[in-house]
Amino acid sequence: MAIETQPERADPTGRGPEPAGAAVRPWWLRPGIPAGLIGAVIGYFLGHWLGNFLGGDYARSSLADANDVAIVLGYAFAVLGWLAGLGVFNDLFGLMLGRPLPEERRLVGKEDPGLGKYFRYTLDHKVVGIQYLYGMIAYFLTGGLFAMAIRSELLSPSYHLIGPEQYLEVVGEHGTMMMMMMSSVILGPFGQYFGPLLIGSKRVAFPRLEALGFWLTPASYVILLSAILFGGFPTGWTGYEPLATQATSGMDAYYFAFGLMGISMILAGFNMIVTIINYRAPGMRWSRLPMFVWSMFTVAFLQVLAVPVLVGACYMGLSDRTFQTAFFTNQLGGSSYLYENLFWFFGHPEVYILALPGFGVISEVVSVFCRKPLFGYKIAAAGMLGVGILSFFVWQHHLFDSGINPDMRPLFMLTTELISIPTGFIYLVGMGTFWKARIRFSIPMLFALAFYFNFLIGGISGVFLSDVPADTTEHGSFFVMAHFHYTIMGGLIFAFFSGIYYWLPKMTGIKLNETLGKIHFWTMFIFFNSTFLPLFALGVMGMPRRVFEYARNLETLNDWVSISSFLLGVSILIFLFNFVMSMLFWRTPEVGNPWRSRSLEWQLSTPPPPENFKRVPVILSSPYDYGVKDALPVADLNPPPGVIGSAYAPAGAVPASTGEA
Amino acid sequence: MTDLTSTPSEAAAAAEDEGFYHESALNATWTGSRLAIGGLTFLFGAFLFAYFYLRSLNSSGLWQGPGFVRPSLWIGTTIMLLAEVSAGVHYFGLQRIKAGGKSTWQITGLLALGLGLAAVAFQIYQLVDLPFAPGSSGYASVFTGFYPVFLVIQLAVLLWLEILLARSRFIPALSFVEQPPTYTETHAVQRFQASLSAFSTTWNYMALMALLFWFLFYAL
Repeated sequence: MAIETQPERADPTGRGPEPAGAAVRPWWLRPGIPAGLIGAVIGYFLGHWLGNFLGGDYARSSLADANDVAIVLGYAFAVLGWLAGLGVFNDLFGLMLGRPLPEERRLVGKEDPGLGKYFRYTLDHKVVGIQYLYGMIAYFLTGGLFAMAIRSELLSPSYHLIGPEQYLEVVGEHGTMMMMMMSSVILGPFGQYFGPLLIGSKRVAFPRLEALGFWLTPASYVILLSAILFGGFPTGWTGYEPLATQATSGMDAYYFAFGLMGISMILAGFNMIVTIINYRAPGMRWSRLPMFVWSMFTVAFLQVLAVPVLVGACYMGLSDRTFQTAFFTNQLGGSSYLYENLFWFFGHPEVYILALPGFGVISEVVSVFCRKPLFGYKIAAAGMLGVGILSFFVWQHHLFDSGINPDMRPLFMLTTELISIPTGFIYLVGMGTFWKARIRFSIPMLFALAFYFNFLIGGISGVFLSDVPADTTEHGSFFVMAHFHYTIMGGLIFAFFSGIYYWLPKMTGIKLNETLGKIHFWTMFIFFNSTFLPLFALGVMGMPRRVFEYARNLETLNDWVSISSFLLGVSILIFLFNFVMSMLFWRTPEVGNPWRSRSLEWQLSTPPPPENFKRVPVILSSPYDYGVKDALPVADLNPPPGVIGSAYAPAGAVPASTGEA
Repeated sequence: MTDLTSTPSEAAAAAEDEGFYHESALNATWTGSRLAIGGLTFLFGAFLFAYFYLRSLNSSGLWQGPGFVRPSLWIGTTIMLLAEVSAGVHYFGLQRIKAGGKSTWQITGLLALGLGLAAVAFQIYQLVDLPFAPGSSGYASVFTGFYPVFLVIQLAVLLWLEILLARSRFIPALSFVEQPPTYTETHAVQRFQASLSAFSTTWNYMALMALLFWFLFYAL
């Protein structure tokens, strides 16, 4: 649920103002979630009927118990119906008739009142950011519930709660939900909300694509969950062939949802890159770009370039299951290794799509709470780019144990080890910033420190695993699982919470309860490590992934891990309680600059005005000049006419809409 | 839009801001089209990889298999040529509108749209009447998998052209010859021109891809 931060402006109907003179449509016909849901249901049945009509007599090459064509077309038409109901195509139809696009109301300082805007397809990047925030929390909690189910089953070395097939189903849902949806956990809420603010822009390049990127995420989420109705998918988050071709119709949901989420990621990244390149305020040189923006920039490139390959792979998988191609069927001229290669060409950059935004958030936080300039700014920026580029050259290390030509292993071992160098640069920038700093241990900083602690363990175990002998030994074990949970949950999710505590006061004008925040941090930090550190030992002792049974001698350690994970879940509930109570009931206002940050977003009122900046600001200095003698203010937020650049519009020009050129 | 009740200084500032974002929007159109080409290259690259991977692997001797029949070279070549001619005709029209010839561009734009749609229609016709089953070989899989994706993207790019043609009806021909009297009109024309140029680049790229995949599927 979205929160109105200016209750006095709230519209009790929650629908926002109706355009003057327009005929009032019934609620179920107005662009919004109700119409979207109606469109999705109608679309699903229409697509399902069409699929049965077109493909009802197809011979099935899989063990599917239903017509996959009907299911996939049902999903496709449901998504189209959902988007049509939201009003995504309205402007497109206008454009096709030659009408110009309507101007964003917020750009002339008019904000839609009420809660309704949070439930609509909107062009305001700040609203999209808040939509992402609530969406991502919901997706994260869902993935977390699946994790609890996994750990509940693993309390005992043999079957006691869920059987082997259901266990795989739950593991697949957990892994895919986390890897697929969480790829936008930082770029979504914080990237969309703060990206334009941090570069001094009133707008983004493609607001419609940005909003579409968000509204595809609930569709992906529901479709992924719908796999449960069809018996789930047995492949885990990687969707490996040939198991995927043999799987029941739940696999269609996996491919479709992952592909759809891929399109969402591409759109978000596309908008981000174009905005950062073209909409930076005068004076926002590349050498002054906040590190968070650098991380968004790099991640966006990874999304735009790597994710299309995933979309292609998901499409090929679906076409194998529907119109009977044989991309991944060895006996018919295809190859299951083709999927593995395509998937990991995306999959490894995906790891950095998850990791780099965490470094971006943390880099912002440490400088503020150390009251020092970010140590080695240029090295950190170069490190981000280095990681991004190298991430395209390491994917074969995921196939060390899967039939890769042995002569190729050393090359990919080397590239994998090389990537630790730019990653180390970014890490050491944090360490350098801590050096001789007077650190303020506020909640965002605590999460930032925990990030560095966790990422060190995750990173070093990653370098260890990149060696062929180590990978061959530990492949498919809990050791690998411990490694990537340390980098992704220990890195990304800790950074996400750091970002929430750091930026939520700016986004909503409300601060979270500090005591509960500290309890949340300490319980999460302790029980995260208590959950995942023993998994390294379990892996070394031979416990395999994705198997619901294990050797009896591993029971004590597994019980320890399960109980720790439940307590980790409790720590998330503490956050949720704090979040809900602070937002809905306590509502402690925070309107100033509580962290005394120099960064551009904190120079604005709280929450930021609808149009972000009254004028195009002129950036004067780095956002990290803490403690620098004679440092200029970070920006002139209201420069006099003529400063921005006479090339665009000569000072003294008459109003653009009516004046003579 | 600038507030008409504002003071001259505020109006100048507003005009300056508007000019700044206008310039940004023009650059964004350029960047966006190039970035889209980058993303599309990776999408097509997935199929290109599949083509060479399966061809070199020749699983079960079924890259093409015994008795394999290629899809009709005549139809394939016609589809490719339609895409090439469409791009060429539009490129010619683009040069004309740069010289102020709006009506010439409109004619070439309509022609390019028609040729593009004909290419898509022929492609659909070919896909529903292939001489092989989609899963009969590696070649058949890549062919049957690739072309639906390609024609959907072609359709999306042609939709862009249709939007440009629709928009052009509301821009006076004189605006392409001499600078319009107001900034608003100047900006509208410049945005149209930027979008047109970006479309042309993208459509030329699609024509290049049509040629490349024609070479792979029919000539190699």
